[in-house]
Amino acid sequence: MILTSGIVARLIALGALASVAQVTCFSKMDVFAAGPDVALLIVISVGLLGGSLTGAVFGFSVGLLIDCLLLQTLGAFALTMLTVGYVAGRYREKVGPPNRVAVMVLGGALTLLGAAVIAAIQIGTGVDADVSFLVVRDAFTKALIGAVIAVPVLLLVRLVVRPALIDERRASRRPAAPRPAPESQ
Amino acid sequence: MYRKQVRRRRAVLLLLVVASLTLLSLYYREGNGGPLHGIQGGVSTIFSPISEGADRALKPVRDLVNWFDQTFEARGENDRLRDEVASLRDDLARAQVTKQEAEELSRLDELTSGGIVPDGSEPVSARVVGRSPTVWYSTVTIDRGSSSGIRVSDPVVAADGLAGRVTQTTGNTARVTLITDAESSVTARVLPAGVTGVVEPNIGDPNDLQLGYLERGSDIGEGQMVVTAGFSTGDLGSIFPPGIPIGEVTDATLEEQQAYQRVHLSPFADLRDMNFVRVLTEGGDGE
Repeated sequence: MILTSGIVARLIALGALASVAQVTCFSKMDVFAAGPDVALLIVISVGLLGGSLTGAVFGFSVGLLIDCLLLQTLGAFALTMLTVGYVAGRYREKVGPPNRVAVMVLGGALTLLGAAVIAAIQIGTGVDADVSFLVVRDAFTKALIGAVIAVPVLLLVRLVVRPALIDERRASRRPAAPRPAPESQ
Repeated sequence: MYRKQVRRRRAVLLLLVVASLTLLSLYYREGNGGPLHGIQGGVSTIFSPISEGADRALKPVRDLVNWFDQTFEARGENDRLRDEVASLRDDLARAQVTKQEAEELSRLDELTSGGIVPDGSEPVSARVVGRSPTVWYSTVTIDRGSSSGIRVSDPVVAADGLAGRVTQTTGNTARVTLITDAESSVTARVLPAGVTGVVEPNIGDPNDLQLGYLERGSDIGEGQMVVTAGFSTGDLGSIFPPGIPIGEVTDATLEEQQAYQRVHLSPFADLRDMNFVRVLTEGGDGE
């Protein structure tokens, strides 16, 4: 991904929109007793399109904004989203652009990773109450929803950052005109 | 060149992780009036009107998705009705939203006019504008803050019963920690037996609370109502006034009562789907 000032502005707008929509809309949705984690999927998509560094910085920023909007422990979501964005980016750098099935698998697996990180932070900072098994069910339901909507979310993010994508530029470039064959002597 | 890139990537990652951990650590250490809380409050205040607008604007979308979820569960519906409902979906969603909000407000009115509001206290109605995306933080953000007289520790009620308490305020927003959050504990009384205990959450299950620390030998039955105890001993007192309905005992086996001195209850308030709450403030201006 080529990060021009225009693309950075688009990413900032996308991150702000994703955070506000997650807090005010998606978290309040009830799909099989769990809300879709769309902000996390957007971070995964940015990681998959832009690499580990872009994914980590974007994830950290989105997470920090969510922490602020919810007046929650500052840094908790920042660390979660940063981890997920980085891992998604590393996948892109190591394996290459993922196909649709891989995006679905990554959407589910990284949603689970996000749930594990936030659980680790909560347990690490001390939980006095009992923990229900439904926490696990909630994580898996979110992962399933994440797997289902990962592809459309990636396509949406791709649309937003399209001018910055090297693959897209290569694809849209016109093929060079064939050179005339050298005259035989 | 490649090594330089790798070094740069690792340095940025390390920096971000250290920043996250530092924020976590400092946030826990500092008080509510600390600089990080101040910055967080500032950001929240800036985004407050956007969040409120987005909450209202996106409500039909939310309700539409929730409607699909409910429809999926209602497998017995026939095809004709489905087609009919599909064509009227938007109108129906809008009408239901209005009706649901009116009903919720009316129930909220009934609850707070039923003598549970202590003398001198001023109930402030607020809209729930934000919710945490994870079950580990059972908190919501409301669109009223210290400028409406809301202070930290003010009790919060939903349409059918106790919702939680205010744990942080900014000028125009406040964080409400629900009774299903890990940090929550409420002294409560079982009616009509009068047995007291402490209501604590079962993290991850919004429909299950535990009433623990019961006296040995107490005999509590299923279906009994649990309300806030609102104790007061000298300077020490509960932040919740007495008599606010919390829930109904759903599971009270004799074994669990004797071995663990606890019973299970289901909260009256639908904490996953509330649009309005009422904060029982002490009256006057906020901080």
